[in-house]
Amino acid sequence: MSAAASESQDIETVTTAVSTNPGRRGQPDNKTRRYDRQLRLWAATGQAALESSRILVIGASATSTSILKNLVLPGIGHFTILDHHSVTPEDAGNNFFLEGPKSIGKRRADEAVRLLAELNDSVEGRADHRNVEEVLNSNPQYFLEFNVVIAHNMQPALVDKLAKYLWSEPSHPIMMVVRSAGFVSEFFIQFHEHSIIESHSETTPSLRIDKPFPELHAHAMSIDFEKMDPTEHAHVPYVVILVSALEDWKKSHGGNPPKTYAEKQQFKKRIQGMRRKPDEENFEEAEAQAYRAWTETTVPSEISALFKDSGLSSLTPSSPPFFQLLSALQKFTQESPHTLPLTSTLPDMRSDTKSYIHLQTLYKRQAEEEKAKFKSLISEDVRETIGDEMIDLFVKNAHALVVMRGREWGSFDQDRAALAMDPSGKETAKLATHLAFSALSSLTLQHQTPTVAALKAEVERIAGTDVELPEEQLDAAVGEVARAPTADLPNMAAFLGGMVAQETIKMITRQYVPQKGYLVIDMVDMWTGAVGA
Amino acid sequence: MSARYTHARAILGPEMSERLPETKVLLVGAGGIGCELLKNLVLAGFGQITLLDLDTIDLSNLNRQFLFRKKDVKKSKAMTAAQTAGPFNPNVHLHPIHGNIKDPQFDMEWFRGFDIVLNALDNLDARRHVNKMCMATQVPLVESGTAGYLGQVQPLLKDRTECFDCISKPTPKTFPVCTIRSTPSQPIHCIVWAKSYLLGQLFGEDEDAGGELDEAEKQGENAQEIATLRKEAQAFKAVRSALRSKDKSSNAAKMAFEKVFNSDIRNLLSMSDMWRSRAPPVPLDFDAVKKGTFVLRGISATGPATNGSAKGNSNGHAATNGQSGASGSGLKDQRALSLQENLALFVSSTERLAARLRAGEETILFDKDDDDTLDFVTAAANLRSAAYGIAGKSRWEIKEMAGNIIPAIATTNAIVAGLIVLQAMHLLKKSYNTLRNIHLQFKPTMPLSAVMISPPNMSCGICRNTYTSVQCDPTRVTLGEVVKGILDGSEREVSVYEAQRVLSDPDWDDNNERTLESLSVTRGKFLTIVDEEGEVATVEVGICSLPANHSGGPLILPSPLPDPPRKVKVTVPPPSTPPKKRAAPDDEEVTELEPAMKRLKTNGTAEPNLYTPSKKRRLEDDGLVLLEAPNEKVEDDDIIEVD
Ligand SMILES: [Zn+2]
Repeated sequence: MSAAASESQDIETVTTAVSTNPGRRGQPDNKTRRYDRQLRLWAATGQAALESSRILVIGASATSTSILKNLVLPGIGHFTILDHHSVTPEDAGNNFFLEGPKSIGKRRADEAVRLLAELNDSVEGRADHRNVEEVLNSNPQYFLEFNVVIAHNMQPALVDKLAKYLWSEPSHPIMMVVRSAGFVSEFFIQFHEHSIIESHSETTPSLRIDKPFPELHAHAMSIDFEKMDPTEHAHVPYVVILVSALEDWKKSHGGNPPKTYAEKQQFKKRIQGMRRKPDEENFEEAEAQAYRAWTETTVPSEISALFKDSGLSSLTPSSPPFFQLLSALQKFTQESPHTLPLTSTLPDMRSDTKSYIHLQTLYKRQAEEEKAKFKSLISEDVRETIGDEMIDLFVKNAHALVVMRGREWGSFDQDRAALAMDPSGKETAKLATHLAFSALSSLTLQHQTPTVAALKAEVERIAGTDVELPEEQLDAAVGEVARAPTADLPNMAAFLGGMVAQETIKMITRQYVPQKGYLVIDMVDMWTGAVGA
Repeated sequence: MSARYTHARAILGPEMSERLPETKVLLVGAGGIGCELLKNLVLAGFGQITLLDLDTIDLSNLNRQFLFRKKDVKKSKAMTAAQTAGPFNPNVHLHPIHGNIKDPQFDMEWFRGFDIVLNALDNLDARRHVNKMCMATQVPLVESGTAGYLGQVQPLLKDRTECFDCISKPTPKTFPVCTIRSTPSQPIHCIVWAKSYLLGQLFGEDEDAGGELDEAEKQGENAQEIATLRKEAQAFKAVRSALRSKDKSSNAAKMAFEKVFNSDIRNLLSMSDMWRSRAPPVPLDFDAVKKGTFVLRGISATGPATNGSAKGNSNGHAATNGQSGASGSGLKDQRALSLQENLALFVSSTERLAARLRAGEETILFDKDDDDTLDFVTAAANLRSAAYGIAGKSRWEIKEMAGNIIPAIATTNAIVAGLIVLQAMHLLKKSYNTLRNIHLQFKPTMPLSAVMISPPNMSCGICRNTYTSVQCDPTRVTLGEVVKGILDGSEREVSVYEAQRVLSDPDWDDNNERTLESLSVTRGKFLTIVDEEGEVATVEVGICSLPANHSGGPLILPSPLPDPPRKVKVTVPPPSTPPKKRAAPDDEEVTELEPAMKRLKTNGTAEPNLYTPSKKRRLEDDGLVLLEAPNEKVEDDDIIEVD
C-alpha cells in the first residue's frame, strides 16, 4: 500500500464511529455502545443475525413477556404478539409488562407490545388481536413470516396442530414450545436441522507437531541448539523444540513417536536434557506440551461423524452453504496428510518476538495455502454465493463444527423404545416431570380434569409398561402439575424467560450449542435436565 | 391478594408470606442483576426494599438493565430503577440510595435493620465488604454474579454456610514496575503503561511519581534504570504545561509523542546492559511515521503494525455478506491499525483531551466508556508495542483489556435473578436443607448445577471471628476503654488492629489513652482484638454511633458481651485479611500486595510513633505495608494493577 493511499483513510473510519466534528468530543456509534457487552459474546455476525430475526409469540403471558423482554433488549429485528385476550386483574398483578390496574380491560397484546417496545427503539413490535385458532385454520402461511414461533402454555390441540404445520417443511420457522405449571416447567425446540460453525468450543485445533508441514519441518531442522547464544536458546518456541525433539526421537525408534508410558516419560526426559539452564521456561513449556508430539493429528471423530450426515449424502447445488463447505472439508481430509485445514492461530508461548513472528508467518502461510486448496474443492459458483468471509470462518472453526438433528414435537412420547431407553428416566425425576406435562396436555385434549389420579394413569398409558418411573418422583411431579396446572408465577416466569430466550438467541445466532430434546426444570428441588435429547 | 403472591406463599408457607410486606430487603446494586431482582421482588410482594447503587446509567447498560431508557443516561441507577419499578406495586415501599455501600453510615446497626441482603454487585471489593458486614450482623446474604452465559448464586449465612471469603478469590494480576516502565514484553504491559502511567502523567493530577520508583528501588530493581526513569518523569512537566497552554502553536501532541516514543526510548537504549539479553526498542520518528516513510524492523509504517499476530478472535470477523450490515459500525475498531494510523489516533485523541483540559476539566482519568481516553490508550499502547516489537491490538481488544470488560446479557441476569429470589425465600424460611449453590454452566443437557452448601472453612479470617459492636462517640471514648470493656476484665493478652494497622499489643499500650477518632477508628470501621496466645477466637468490634437521644457516657457496650470460643489449634492469627503474599514464581511477576493502606488523618499535631519496632518487623515479614509516620502516605500506584 502506498503512503498516499493510506493517508487518505481518515482516522474515524478505523476507530468506532467517532464523530468527525473537529474540536468536539468524539462520540461512537450509539448502537455499538449499547450492545458492547453482548458483541463480546457473539460478535457482529451474531448481532446481525439477531437484528434480522422476526419472532412471533403466541399469548402475552407473564412468561411470554419475560422471554420477549430478553429478546428485545439485545435487539431482535421484529416481534409480534398474537393474542386476542383482554387484560384480567390477575394478569395485571402478575405481568411486569402490563401497566398494572391501568391495563385491565385493554387488549393484552397492545399493552404488552407498547411496554416491551419501550425497551429498545430499534426493535419493531406489533400487536395482532386475532385468535390464533382462526389464523391457523384460515391462513397458516401467516406463521411463515417469522423465524421463530414461541408458544407458552398454549392449548394442546393448537400446539399440536401448529407444530405439525411448522414441521411439514424443513424451511419453516423453528418452534419453541414452553409449558409451565407452578414450580415445574419444560421447553422444547422443534427444528429439522441446525448447523453451527461458531460453537465456541473449548477444544483447540492441532498444531501438527506430529505431522509438521515441510516449512515447519525445515525451520525446526535448521535450528542448531548448540550454536545459539544463551538468550536465543531460552527463547526457541516450544513448537520448534518439540518438532525437533520428535524428529530426533523417531530416528532412533524406527520412525515412530513415543508410544508407551515409559517412552513418553523418556521423551520428556530428553527435552529436559536439552536445557542449558534449569530455568529455561520455553523448555518447561515444551515438556508440558509434549503430548502434542505423540497425539496423532487426525480428523476428530465428531467431525468425521458429520461426513456421514444425511445433509451430505443428499447434497445438491442448492443445499445450504454449510453442507457445501462440509463436503469440501470431507474431500480435503481424504487427501494426505488426512487432517483438517491448518488454522493460523498460534497460542501464546515463551519466545522472543522475532522467533514468534517467524513461526507465525510459517503457520499463516501454510494455513493460507491449505485454505486455497480447500477453496479449490468448492465449485466456483457455490464459492461465489457463499463468500470468503463464511469460508474463512468455516475453516477456522473446522475442528468444532456441529450439526444437530431435531425431532418433531410429540414424537418422543410416541416412541416407547426411546422412552424406555432414555438415560434421564432411571434415577431422577426428569422423565417423570416431562411425562406429567404430556399427561396434562393429553387430559386437556380429552377435556378431563387433571387430578393426581388421572394424571398418573395417563402417564402410565403414555409410557407403557417398559418405562419404570420411581414412584416418589412421579408423585411429586404429578402433584405439582395437578396443584397448579396453569399457574404462571412471576419468579418462575422471570427465570424461564431467561432460559428460553437464551436458547432462542443460540438458535438465531447459530453460535454456541443449544439444548436438544426437552429441557425440564424443577425449581422446588432445584434441578434442570434434558429428556429425549 | 392476587396470584402474584402464590409463589412466595408456596415456599414460605402462609405465616411467613403474611409477613412478606414487612420483610426488609437490602438490594446492593441496581445493574444487570439488580434491575431483574428489583422487578422480581416487587412482583413477589416484598414490602420494604432498600436499593443502593453508586453508579450512574451508561448507554452500554441498556442492552440488559431494562428499568433504564436512553433518556436516563447519566442519572442515578438506584433512583431511576426505583422510579420505574415502584409504580408497579404501590404496596411496596422502595427506598433508593445513591451511595457507596462502604460509606460509614452503613454500619453494623444499619445492616441489622434488614431481614436479608441481596448482592447484585460487579466488584470484588464491595462483595467482600458486604459479606463481612453480613457475617458480623448474622443477616442472611445471597451472593451472585454473571459473566456472559455463565452465572452463580450462593446463599450465605454465618455459622451455617461458608462465607464469600472462606475460599480465597483470585486477585488482580499485577506487574513489576520496570516491566511496565522500561521492559514490556506483552501487549498488556503496554496497555497498562498507557492507561495507568502515561495518561496520568499527561492528564492526571500533577503528582510526583517518585514514590513508586523509590519503592521499586527498595525492592532491588536496577538502580541505573530507576535513575533514568526518574529523569523521564521530570521531563513530563514541560509536556504537561504545553497541553494546558492556550497557545495553539505549541503542538503539544507532537511534543508528547517525541518525549515518550523517542527521547525516553533513546535514554533507555543508552543503558546497554539492559538490552544484552532482550531485543532493544526502536525510537519512533514522528515525521517519518506521519509521512508513512518510517521503516520499523523492515515493515513500512503503513502496513499493519503487527504481522497480523493480534490474536485470532471470533470478534474480529466481519459480517457475512448478504447479512444486514446494521451492526457494521461495530467492526471498524476491530481491525489492527497501522503505525501511521496509530500516530494519527494519538495526535487526535491527545488534542481532544487537551481541549477538555483547556475547557476546565482538571484531571482526566481512564474510563473505558470515555472515547477520548480509550482512543488515547489504544494509540499510545500500540505505538509503544511497535517500538518494542510487540504485537499490536485493536481498539476493541484494548477496551476489553484496559477496561476489564466482562460480557453481559439480559438472559443470564434474568436466570440468576430468578434463582436469587428462590434462595432468599429458603433463607428467610430458615429451611437450610434446601439451600443450594447454583452455577449456570455451558452444558446443554444440564444448564444448572445445584450443589449442597458447604460448611464454613474453619480457618477463615472473616466468618470464624466473633463479631460484636459498640455504640460510642469516637471523639470522646478511648481505645483502652473500648478494649477493656469488651474484654470484660479478662486478663488475657491481646493485640488490637484496625484493618492492617496495629494499635496496641501486650508490650505497647501508648495508644490506650487516645480517643478512637485520633486513631482514625470511626463509624463503620472495626477494631480487631487478637488473642496473643492464639487460643481464643478473634473478636471484631464494629464501631457504631450513639443513639440519637443519648445523653449518658460516650460508650455503650454490647449486651451480652462477646464470648469468643476457644480455638482448638494454636496458630498465630494474622489480622483479619487473607494472606498477603504469594510466592514469586520467578522474576516475571513479583509484586502482589494488598490494597494500599489508608492514610491516617491527622490534624497537624505531632503524633507519637504508632508502632513498636518489633511489631513492625513482624508485620513486614508477613508482607504488610507499615507506615513510618502517621502522615506518610502510601500511593495506590505503588502497585500497578489491571482493575
Ligand atoms: Zn468464611
